[in-house]
Formats: sequence, structure tokens, C-alpha cells
Amino acid sequence: MRHAFIIGARVIAQLKGDKRFLALSLIAPLIIIYLLKLLFDVIAPAPVTPVSGFMPIPLPTFSASKFILPASAFIVHFLSFVLCAILLVQERTRGTLDRMLISGFRKISVISGYTIGYFGLATLQALLVITEANYLFDFNFPFKTIFILFLVIWLLAVVSVMLGIFVSTFARHEGHVFPFIPLIILPSVFLTGVIVDPEKLPALANLLGYLFPLRYANNIIVTLQQNTYGFSDLWPDFLILLGYAGALLLLASRTMKEKE
Amino acid sequence: MKNSVEINSLNKSYGKFSVLKNVNLNVREGSIFGLIGPNGAGKTTLIKAMVGALKINSGEISVLGKNPLKNSWELRRQVGYMPQTPSLYGDLSARQNISFFGKAQNIPGLEKEVEKILEFTELTDRANDPVRNFSGGMQKRVSLACALIHSPKIIFLDEPTAAVDPHLKKRSWELFKKLSGQGITIFVSTHLMDEALLCDTISILRAGEVLAIDTPQNFLARGNSKIKYEKEGNIFELVSGSDPASLAIQLKKLGLEAGITKIEIIQDNIESIVLQMTDKK
Repeated sequence: MRHAFIIGARVIAQLKGDKRFLALSLIAPLIIIYLLKLLFDVIAPAPVTPVSGFMPIPLPTFSASKFILPASAFIVHFLSFVLCAILLVQERTRGTLDRMLISGFRKISVISGYTIGYFGLATLQALLVITEANYLFDFNFPFKTIFILFLVIWLLAVVSVMLGIFVSTFARHEGHVFPFIPLIILPSVFLTGVIVDPEKLPALANLLGYLFPLRYANNIIVTLQQNTYGFSDLWPDFLILLGYAGALLLLASRTMKEKE
Repeated sequence: MKNSVEINSLNKSYGKFSVLKNVNLNVREGSIFGLIGPNGAGKTTLIKAMVGALKINSGEISVLGKNPLKNSWELRRQVGYMPQTPSLYGDLSARQNISFFGKAQNIPGLEKEVEKILEFTELTDRANDPVRNFSGGMQKRVSLACALIHSPKIIFLDEPTAAVDPHLKKRSWELFKKLSGQGITIFVSTHLMDEALLCDTISILRAGEVLAIDTPQNFLARGNSKIKYEKEGNIFELVSGSDPASLAIQLKKLGLEAGITKIEIIQDNIESIVLQMTDKK
């Protein structure tokens, strides 16, 4: 475990040294959420005050939070996955991964170290995204809900890091990461509740949606937007997300090669 | 004297492509062993097999009396490896890079050791600069320092001076000689023939096969000397063995001939001897 913390500390030092990368991974989600705000302002304009003498036209109800929170979760999921996968592939192409393993670090330490290193980034990403979304869309959620929202987005970011590590074991260079985006990330948009309720999708598509971790994060987000919810409504999905993280950690440690 | 490395009948292939073919070699403890060969000869593959980063198809490898695949964790404390590419973290300083790879070995008093190795590799002045700002040669020196931080008994250097300016190359070889003087076995791969002369023993590798193993002096003795002379306006050429006795006989003969106005002796260098050997194959 000591080696994992050494690698984690190195990843953090490396992230701090790469200001451009750090700024991009923290600012990009905020820009996208702001653009979503501009989009939602057009789709759902503020209600018009009825003019006297005219009957008010009933406007369809539109809840921004129903879309913006799953979209925020998706942005964090996507960026954490891509950035971690690319950085780990760079370790391979630069030869530092081989060097780490030959120097005496074990592959489980490398994977755990990367996860520890990204915990900090995932925490910052989740905090910034929740704060901005809450400020721009004025959700007025109680503190408990905001805290659980932070927790679910943070956990999703951790799962995304694991997924990035797992995918990186199949990539020989950075370009190999990109085919995984349409394979793993894009279906999440359609099948996990970012755009439509997956229960309304055809049975097969709905079933496929269960393969993606974003589905479970969105389940929690939807539950949190109900007026009343209890711990029992949330823990099964939290548990599945934790299971995903554990399973991906195991899978990545199986697929990462120590010897050619 | 003991051998630090013993390789018997080593074979390695990727699919149908055979990279190493029946390689046999021994490396004497504390010596500088040069693995000479053109690009693609299998030098990196052989080094990776010796540091336990590569599974072999058949044969035996013993490094410091241990099998690098089965005893990789024990060996990693005694073996240093400098890859062909610098393999460093550009955003970290030289000190941070050395310290990071040192931490893998749980070295007692690591900080002091890092300072010592920075001094040894003449990096102290730029120890806190990010490695990405270093020249290729400087990066290689940081890479060497990372490979030496745990005081290994044997160090594998994969093309350590490729793309390094002559001044840095000279200083690098001074370092290798210094290490060898301390009893550390140096296994160095290179495609630069002038470096072969600096080794105690050299092995010629071509297309995965070891063509010959000998001292540089014995390799030079395998070459010939050409005697070019000008007689009555025409240029003639004689081939002699490289040993001084046969050369003297030829020269004595020519020196007595009237009409010879110019004599030039051209001796085969290590490069031409190796090229002749590899071309014959």
C-alpha cells in the first residue's frame, strides 16, 4: 500500500506541474455547464406575465434539473475517463510504466496509485460542477441533497478513472483510446437517462443501459430530485457503483501486463 | 572470476518472427560488456529479457545467479536498468524523478543517496529544474541516475549515448568506467562502433544471432592492413595481416623498390571489421 501512496503522490505532483492539463480538466466541465445554461434558457424561457384581458396560456412544465444534473454527471464521467486513460497510455508510450515495474513497483500499486492521485481531481471536479449547476440553475436543494449529489458525482468520477485505467491496458498509444469513446461513453448518453428515461426505451436498450455505471449514478440523481427519499432508496445504486469500481480495479490488474 | 550474466540457448520470437536465435553469452563480474549491433538486431529485446521484462520462448538466463523471470522481485534490488528512451516524468524535476524511482526500492536514507547520485552524475546544479527543459543528453544522465539510485550490482544500459553530443558521450563513458572501477558490472548496448573499443568484451549481434564475442583488441587483430603505394605515377594496393610482423615484411619489400614515391598504410578499424563480419553472414 505504501507504493500506491508513493505513486499517488507522484501523480498529484505531476498534475500540479501540468497547469494546462489541470486547468482544462477543471474548467472544461464548467464551460460546458454554462453552455447548457444558455441552451436551456432558450428551450425553457422564464414564464411570461399574462397581459390583462387575455387568458394566460399554460406553458408545458420543464425541469432543468432533470436534464442538467445527469448531463453534469456525464461530463465528469467522460472527462475523467478520457484524461486518465490517455495519461496512463502516455506512461506506456514514454516507457515510464515499464520502468516503474522494473524498478520494483507492482502493477496493483500502479493502478491503486493512479486512483489515489485522481481522487483529489475527482473531488475538485465534483465540487465545482455541483456548485456551478446549483448557482446557475438555482435548484434550491437542501444541503443533504447537495452533499449526496456531490458524493454520487465523485464516486462516478472514481469509477470513470478505474474505467480509464482498464481501457488503457488495451491501448498501445493514445489513439487507441478514442475507439473506446463511441463504444463505452456515447451509449451512456442515450441509454442511461441523460436524455430520456431509460424505462421508456425498448426492452433491449433498457437492458443494455444497465451495463453502464452512469445508469446507477442517474438513478440516484433522479431519486434525489423527488420531494422525499430515504437512505434505502439510494444505497442499492451506491453499492453497485462501488462494485463497479472494485470490479474494474480487479479487471485492470488482470489485464495490465508486467512482462511482454 | 564469477559471471554476472550467463545466457544459454536463448530464443525469443513474436509469432513467426524470430527476434533472438540461440543466444549464448557470459558477462564477467565487474566488466564492461558491449552488445554491438545495428538497429533491429535484437539488442533491446535481449536486455529486456535480462531485466525480467520479457518472457522468453526457450533457453536459460541467469543474472547474478538468479532467473530474472522467477526471481524478478529479488533481482530488482540488485539490477539497474536504463531504457533506450529517457523514460522520465517531464513535469517533475531531476531530483523528484530520481527520488520517485528510489522509493520503489525502500532505500534507507534516500534523500542523502539522491544528493550523492546527483553529484556523481553532475546534475546538482539543475536538480530542481523540470526534466522537460533538459537536453536529450541531460535527460539520459537523469535516466542513468534513476538506474543507479539503489546501488545495483549490475546495470543494463540500452543505447545510453545515442543522440548525445560528443562531449557528453565522453563524460558518460568516464562515468561508466568509474562504475566499473567500483566493481559494478556494466552491460551496454550500442550501434556506435567507436564505443566498442571502450568495453572490456564485445559481442556482435545481428538479426538476433550472436556472431562473435571477444575483446576489442582481438577483434582489431582480425582485420587487415592495406598498403597503398605510388610507383611511377600509378597507384597499387597490397593487403597484409594486421600483425606488425607481416606488415614489416611487406614494407621492407616495397622500401627497397626503386621508383616508389609514396606509401600509405590503411588499417581496418573496428567498424569495418564488424561490417565485414555482419555482411559475410
